[in-house]
Amino acid sequence: MEDAAWRAAQRRRVWRGRLLPVAGAGALLFLWWAVVAYFHVRPFIAPAPEVVAITLYQKFGMLMDNLAPTAIESIGGFVIGNLLGIGIATVFVHCRTAEQAFFPVAVFINSIPIVAKAPILVLMLGNGLAPKIAISAVICFFPTLVNMARGLEAVSPQAVELMHVLSASRWEVFWKLRLPTSLPFLFSALKVATSTAVVGAIVGEWIGSQEGIGALIIQATYNFDSALLYAVVLCGSAFSVAFFMAVRLLERLVIRWEAASGH
Amino acid sequence: MTGGLALDCRDVTVRFMSERRAVTALEGVSLALEPGDFVTLLGPSGCGKSTLLRVIADIIAPTAGAVRVFGEAPSVARQRREIGFVFQDASLLPWRNVLDNVRLPLEVGGRRGAVPVSPEALLEMVGLAGWEKNYPHELSGGMRQRVAIARALLGGPRILLMDEPFGALDEITRDRLNEELLRIWRETGTTIVFVTHSIYEAAFLARKVLVLAPRPGRVRELVTVDLPEPRGLAVRETPEFVRLAAHLRRVLEGL
Repeated sequence: MEDAAWRAAQRRRVWRGRLLPVAGAGALLFLWWAVVAYFHVRPFIAPAPEVVAITLYQKFGMLMDNLAPTAIESIGGFVIGNLLGIGIATVFVHCRTAEQAFFPVAVFINSIPIVAKAPILVLMLGNGLAPKIAISAVICFFPTLVNMARGLEAVSPQAVELMHVLSASRWEVFWKLRLPTSLPFLFSALKVATSTAVVGAIVGEWIGSQEGIGALIIQATYNFDSALLYAVVLCGSAFSVAFFMAVRLLERLVIRWEAASGH
Repeated sequence: MTGGLALDCRDVTVRFMSERRAVTALEGVSLALEPGDFVTLLGPSGCGKSTLLRVIADIIAPTAGAVRVFGEAPSVARQRREIGFVFQDASLLPWRNVLDNVRLPLEVGGRRGAVPVSPEALLEMVGLAGWEKNYPHELSGGMRQRVAIARALLGGPRILLMDEPFGALDEITRDRLNEELLRIWRETGTTIVFVTHSIYEAAFLARKVLVLAPRPGRVRELVTVDLPEPRGLAVRETPEFVRLAAHLRRVLEGL
C-alpha cells in the first residue's frame, strides 16, 4: 500500500517536471503576445507570436531549402574540425616536442575572433560551401583539441603502472586505457561544438552567400521582415538543439559506465 | 648465487629529485624470500615500502643495488608475467565488466599461451561467481579489490605484489579479505609481498614482517612470525599474537 502511494507521488513528481517547462514557455509566449498587442508594437520592430507561426507555416518549404546548406556546412565542419582536434591531441600526447612547438600556435589562431577569421577563409576558399565548412571546422577544432588532450592525460597513475606491469605497448595503452578514459572529456567538447559549428556556418554565410540560414537572416533584417527573421532564427535554433540531442544520445550509447556518477 | 630464491633484494637504494631536492626513498634495503613465502612490509608513510614494491615490479629502477626475481632481472620476470600487482585503488577499467577486467592481461603485452586457471574460475576463487557481467561502479570497494586480485592471479604469477590493497576498506571487510587472502595463498602457493601500515594486518598475514623506518626508508628489523598455520581471525586473541603485535610496535618506534 505504502509502495503504491510512493509510486503515485513519484509519478506526480515526474509529470510536474514535464508540465512546468511547458507552462513556463506558454506563459512567456502569452506575455510576448500581450505586450505586442497592448503597446501596438509595429511589425518591423517585433512581430506578434501568431504572425511568426503563420510565417513558419507558409514559408516552411523555403525555410527548409535554406536550412539544408547550413546543416550540411555545420555537420561537415563539425566532423572535420573534431577529427582534426582528436588527431592532433593524439599526436600531442605521444610527442611532447610537437605539443610544445604547435600548441601556442593553436592558442594564437583560436584567439582571433571568428568574425575576423571568416573573411580570410572566404578569400582563400571562394564563395561555395567550402569556406563555411572551414569556418565551422576552425571554430570546433580548438575546444576539442584541448579537451581531448586533457582526457588522454587523465588516466590514473596506477592504471599506467598496471599497463607497465602487463608489458603493454604504447599502442595498447592508447587503445585500452587512454582513449576510453578520454571519451567523457571528448563528448563534453562535442556537445559544445554542436552549437558553435552552427554559429560558424551562419557567420560564414553572412560574409557572402545567397542561401542558407545566415543569408536569410541578413535579407530579412535589411527588408525589416521581422516575422521572417524570427522564423529563420527559430529554424536555426531548432536545428542546433536537434544536433545537440543527437550527440547527447550518441554519448549515452557510448558511455554507459558513468551512468551511476551522472557525468 | 641466487638459485632457489623467489626474491633477492641486495642493498637496494632509490634516490630521486623532488622540487630541486634529492630524496632518498630507500637506503640499502636487503630482503631474501623463499618460494611460497608471505612477507609484509610494515612502516609509516614515507618509509619507501611502496617504492620497494615498484622496484621489484620493474616500475622504478633502483639507483644502486641488485634485485633478482626467481633468479632473473625484474624486467625479464615482468615480461614473462611472473609478477602480479594489486594496487591500493583496485585500478579497474570502468568501461569493462568484471570478467573483461580480469581478462585484460590476455589482451595486452603480446600473445600468451593458455592460462592455467580460467578467468571464470579465478572469479569463483575470490568469491565473485555470478558477478561476471557487472560493472565496477556497481561493486563495493571490497568486491573491486577481489576483482583486482583475480586479475593479478591470471596467468599464475610466481610472485604477487600487493600495495596496501585493503587500506581503503572498512575494518570488517578488511578482516574478511585478510582471511580469504590467506586461503588464496594456500590454494595457489604463490609468493606474496604485501605492503601495509597496520600492525595487526602485517602480523596476521605474514610469515615474515619487514619493519621499515622512514626518511630515508631503511630496514629496522626482519621479524619472523611463529603463529600456527592455517590461521583464522581468532589467532589475534592469543597471547602469542598480542606479544608479537607489541614487539612490532616497539620495533616500529625504534625502541
